[in-house]
Amino acid sequence: MANKRIELPQGTLDLLILRTLALEPQHGWAISERIHQISSDVLLVQQGSLYPALHRLERRGWIKAKWGTSENNRRAKYYELTKAGRKQLELEKDSWNKLAGAVAQILETA
Amino acid sequence: MFSDLFFRLRSLFRRETVESEADAELRFHFERQVEKYLKSGMSRSEATRRTRLEFGGHEQLKEEIRDARGVSFIETFVQDIRYGMRTLRKNPAFAVIAALTLALGIGASASVFSVVNAILLKPLPYPQAERIVIPWLVSPPGVNIGSEYFPWGQIQFRFLTHDDHPFKELGAFQNDSFNLTGSGEPALLDGFRTSAGFFPALGVSPMFGRTYTDDEDQPGHEHVVVLSYRLWQERFGGDRNVLGRSIELNGYPYAIIGVMPVDFAFPRAEEMPVSFNFPRRPQLWVPLAIAPTPVAGPSELAVIGRLKPELTIEQAQAQMNVITKRAETIDPRWKGWSNTRLTPLEKQVVGDSQRPLLLILGSVGIVLLIACSNVANLLLTRSFGRRREFTLRAALGAGRARLVRQLLTESLVLALAGGLLGIWFAVAGVRFLKAFGPANIPRLQEVSLDTHVFAFAAAISLFTGIFFGLAPALEAARKNIFESLREGGQRAGAGSAHPRLRNALLVSQVALALVLVISAGLLVRTFYHMLSVDPGFRPAQVFTFQLSLPALKYPDQARIVPVYTRVLENLRGVSGVESAGIAETLPMGGEGESTVIKIPDHPATNDKSLPFANYTIVSPGYFSAVGASILRGRAIAETDTGDSMPVAIVNSAMAKLYWPGEDALGKRVALGSPRYPTFTIVGIVADIKHFSMREDPAPEMYVAYTQKQWPSMLTMNVAVRTKADLSSMTAGVREAIHSADPDLPIAKLAPLTILVDDSMTEPRFAMLLLTSFGGLALLLATIGMYGVISYSVAQRTQEIGIRMALGAARGNVFGMVLAQGARLAGLGIVIGLAAACAVTRLMASFLYGVQPTDPITFVAVSGLLVGVALLACYLPARRATRVDPIIALRYE
Repeated sequence: MANKRIELPQGTLDLLILRTLALEPQHGWAISERIHQISSDVLLVQQGSLYPALHRLERRGWIKAKWGTSENNRRAKYYELTKAGRKQLELEKDSWNKLAGAVAQILETA
Repeated sequence: MFSDLFFRLRSLFRRETVESEADAELRFHFERQVEKYLKSGMSRSEATRRTRLEFGGHEQLKEEIRDARGVSFIETFVQDIRYGMRTLRKNPAFAVIAALTLALGIGASASVFSVVNAILLKPLPYPQAERIVIPWLVSPPGVNIGSEYFPWGQIQFRFLTHDDHPFKELGAFQNDSFNLTGSGEPALLDGFRTSAGFFPALGVSPMFGRTYTDDEDQPGHEHVVVLSYRLWQERFGGDRNVLGRSIELNGYPYAIIGVMPVDFAFPRAEEMPVSFNFPRRPQLWVPLAIAPTPVAGPSELAVIGRLKPELTIEQAQAQMNVITKRAETIDPRWKGWSNTRLTPLEKQVVGDSQRPLLLILGSVGIVLLIACSNVANLLLTRSFGRRREFTLRAALGAGRARLVRQLLTESLVLALAGGLLGIWFAVAGVRFLKAFGPANIPRLQEVSLDTHVFAFAAAISLFTGIFFGLAPALEAARKNIFESLREGGQRAGAGSAHPRLRNALLVSQVALALVLVISAGLLVRTFYHMLSVDPGFRPAQVFTFQLSLPALKYPDQARIVPVYTRVLENLRGVSGVESAGIAETLPMGGEGESTVIKIPDHPATNDKSLPFANYTIVSPGYFSAVGASILRGRAIAETDTGDSMPVAIVNSAMAKLYWPGEDALGKRVALGSPRYPTFTIVGIVADIKHFSMREDPAPEMYVAYTQKQWPSMLTMNVAVRTKADLSSMTAGVREAIHSADPDLPIAKLAPLTILVDDSMTEPRFAMLLLTSFGGLALLLATIGMYGVISYSVAQRTQEIGIRMALGAARGNVFGMVLAQGARLAGLGIVIGLAAACAVTRLMASFLYGVQPTDPITFVAVSGLLVGVALLACYLPARRATRVDPIIALRYE
């Protein structure tokens, strides 16, 4: 199981968080769970990088936080995408796709 | 942008809330994760353990969150400052020594900078001062007339004002002495005759009243006077009703029309070429009143102008050159003698003072450097002592950058403390500079601690904080944590402290101190050499004063000569007087007239090699009064009268220059104009110094006051050699003068030694300053050396203990420590000597009678440094011999 996981390339964590939050507001734990599940257990987001990233995104104004009640009835901090965050998500998605496409092309043809 | 700022501010000011929110958030995550593992069937303890492992350091994560929120920079800074102050308080001895060291360096730099600021950086107190220029007449290329600049004549100045000149305002001025009579004790005042354009060219207006108009600047209308603030205060008690009152100057009534502001004193001697012999402090200004068509007369004018707004100085110079050409076609006698050079007033005022300032600035910079490296060494020592603390912090998750930052903040705190103390030192330093600075430093009295100086002090505090803090901080954070932990277990392991950096700092300190002390030593040698120079006269037991005859009462030679003869006769009758004489200029009293001469035996072959000489009128008895030896022939005698053969005494420099390999006695010399008689040389006198002990003697000729033809003798100096105490003589002297003429004022009565001392203030000041900087550098380097060696002894306690246990004698240990110090000092001295060779060359112009690479100074100072180094090592070395092997080894 350990070798199934891969390290996240620099900068992609922000993109993944934004994408996860695009569906609905989530708290930190749910975000990491979701990324873990959707990537079929390949990507594991450590708390050590998740929370600094969340606070960084909040500072940039791409997400905002508010306290809410979690699925098990506890106080949890929920993050949701702002307008600027949505725009940023589109931008980052585009550039990621371009990068991925270009890398794939090189791998196949070169 | 604003939301980001708001976000940061919220993080900063609502820190508690933000912190507890982060705690709650992380706790929630933690519990959720535990729940998840519980659901998958783990035991509670297993689930908690797994989660904790995944989580890593809680505090570290919070720290990273804080970083991400962007608050931490300011917050950490404040925190670090608090922490730094706490650690400094815990170790007050270190804090005091370091802050004092820095304060000395910063204080010295700030006070020197305040002088540089006043002289070089502050604008002159005239509106648009950069537009003011002084057009000097310069001698034709290759012609030496004894000084670079020479004065304008009235005809030339008239010609300039009538031509299409490049000045918006243009004024001429010449100094004069004014005999103030009619109200109280007669007084002799220094003042200027200026044309009406003088004040507008400077752009100054009087404090109250007015300056003179063009109409008043005409012969017959010129009896108005503008007073200096000081004269107004001293003579008229600051009475505002003084306007319109009449005072008597040189026997003529003058109406007071204005009083200048307190800080106005233009021109001042120290701001003008010395050859003009301007007074230090002008007291009054009266109109120059040149006739519409002036007659030929002596050239005595200086000119000042304010450029027309659209002109650059180069364009103005070009325009002046055109005027010069035109003048030369009109009057061929001016050919080659009407070249001008426009000098900006700012440059004129600063003059030669820039170079001594740079010397002082350089030496204070060295002191600052040594202070910095000293504190760096102290910090290094301390940071080795704080090893465990750093290790602990690193283990708790402090990054390397974080440690460096904290240490840097601590050094900044230290530097700022040093800076504050340093400003206090600077206040004292400025007071010292003002009190002891030589009078010929321009604008010295304008020196003050203004915002520029404070900004400078703050800037160098910051700079030094980073400069001395960076190396120790990097060094402290260099080692990785595991290595430190391993060492932490042992006590002071042998290789724990890297001595290289400390040694390098020490070597550079020694080298810098050596350079500074050698420079100071060269100046000391220069000073004592100047003291031992033969000035050509013997100033002890001589006093001098100035006499000024009222022009009305003494209009011509026939009336002037008898009064001086009477004065001399009366003086010689005063008991205690050995000899008395009169001269136009006194020894060390500045330069007198300089003139082109003709030597019938060796006629000049071309215009460029015209001979010249200083020309001084003296009376019989003058040479014996000042103690100048007659080398050959005779002095001026009572028998040299208006009817006898015109005679001259020349100084030995003139005899050697114009009659090389010949005997000048009996030779003939004439002045430039054929109107004056030819003199026969009857004596050769020793060279008398005029400005400074270090000047090369200029050719000089002395003629008898009874045979004089030129120039005016209305103001003369009297020298009296006495057997008795000077103070007991003054009453008798006054009586002797007043019985010759009760209206004669006695001015500037002073011992001749004062004139000599005055000329020594500048070299003495430079020497004092550099010696004190050198002493400071030496002291700092000694402290630094002591610190390094005693630290190294403390570190090597075990090693020394082992050596002694194995049979090393105390003497060996002592020698070993001394040798370590000597090696470092030796390296520093070698490097310092090489540097000194390069540096002292730059100060050659400050030296006299000693080479920049004077071997005596170099050897003596090196010896001094070796001695000081050994002294600094002595205590630690003795401590090393007292190491008890048993105790040293027990620590293992």
